[in-house]
Amino acid sequence: MSECRRVRENLVAFLCGELGEGEKENVRRHLNACSLCRRELKQLQQTLQSARSLNPEMEKTLASVNWEALAEKIVHAVWNEEARPRRLPGRERFRLSAPKLRAVFAGLLLGVLVGALATYLVFRGRLPQRNGGEKLFASGEFLDRVDLEIARRETLDYLEKSQYVLLEFVESRARPGKFEPGGLAAQRAKELLEKKKFLNPQLEKAQMAKAKEICDQIELLFYELAQISESLTEQQRQEIQNLIEERKLLLRINLLRKELQESEV
Amino acid sequence: MDRTDVAENENIQILLEKAKGGDRLAFKTIVTLYQQKVFLLAYSILRNREDARDIVQETFLKLYRKLDAYEREKNFQAWLLQMAKNLCLDYYRKNYSRRKELESAKSIEELNLAADDGSNNPTSSDLRQVFSRCLEKLGDRQRLIFVLKHYNGLQYQEIAQILNISVGTVKSLHFKAVRNLRNLLGPLVGMES
Repeated sequence: MSECRRVRENLVAFLCGELGEGEKENVRRHLNACSLCRRELKQLQQTLQSARSLNPEMEKTLASVNWEALAEKIVHAVWNEEARPRRLPGRERFRLSAPKLRAVFAGLLLGVLVGALATYLVFRGRLPQRNGGEKLFASGEFLDRVDLEIARRETLDYLEKSQYVLLEFVESRARPGKFEPGGLAAQRAKELLEKKKFLNPQLEKAQMAKAKEICDQIELLFYELAQISESLTEQQRQEIQNLIEERKLLLRINLLRKELQESEV
Repeated sequence: MDRTDVAENENIQILLEKAKGGDRLAFKTIVTLYQQKVFLLAYSILRNREDARDIVQETFLKLYRKLDAYEREKNFQAWLLQMAKNLCLDYYRKNYSRRKELESAKSIEELNLAADDGSNNPTSSDLRQVFSRCLEKLGDRQRLIFVLKHYNGLQYQEIAQILNISVGTVKSLHFKAVRNLRNLLGPLVGMES
């Protein structure tokens, strides 16, 4: 069986005259003895005969091309399009891409780069600056849009993190012990308070009044959470819970997030 | 390369040197000698006369630009056809989806030649269509090797040089190409079993 497999892998090469004498003889010998491989050979032969069905079309297509005209067209295109100076045979022509010049060009390029870098480093402090140090040369409208987009993304991030902390707090009521305000939550609240400080000027600048109002309320809650050090009494927990519910903070955060997500600049 | 190839390659060297020096006639002679071979390769892959003509022109433009890069010990024909093959494959990949849309919506199965009348003698036009479709179903490398072997009449050795692979790989891929074609064609043309 392995002999059949080996021979079959050679059958196509056998049919195409690509086998050496020895291999050819082996295949012939096996074919004389094996009817299955003879059948395989016949099918492959038929396949190769089918391949010839494309030949007349190819010949017809070949005959339909004006080869003299095509050759002339190609040479004309090459000579015109390339427009490169003819080289005289036997004479060395000066070429910018010549291998011996590559090192020279590399050295020159390196020199230019180092010079440009040095010039930049020396003169960068002395360049005239626009608008008290702003070096941006974009339009005011564009910069406003950039500010708004940054504020939008920062607010979304802040809201998402806040929502996560508040949700955890609300759910902890049903599962006491899961939420430890004195530990992780207080830490998170502190981090978010820091972030809010950074967010404030952006909210002002981008005129996001609604977002600012909600973020301020969240800030207040986090301020309280962060103040609570070790453990939370049931009364404190209830107060914070009431604040979240009274102000419908989670719902408003959701709505605001949705609004912000849809208002991409 | 055998002795004939070596002699041919030496003649080509002379023409190439002259072409490098700006000899227009020498370059035109190279074009005349090889344009049909390049065309056949391009036409076999792209199956479109005008696209194949464009590829011929592009190939010789590229050849002229790369005259300096040719190494004497290389088989010129294999080197040239390698450039043509690369241009064809780029073109084929870029335009394949467009071609598929432009082609007839008929699938191979719809062109089943043996199904209706039980005849095992399909007309040559039908067989050509079926075979053409089956050929397109092959993978890129198998199709290319099949085309180079059967429509460009190249030996495994030359195909290996063009594709930059070993002769053993060419042999193996050619075998797989024919076997796959047999499997695709068999039920459609009522191949004898």
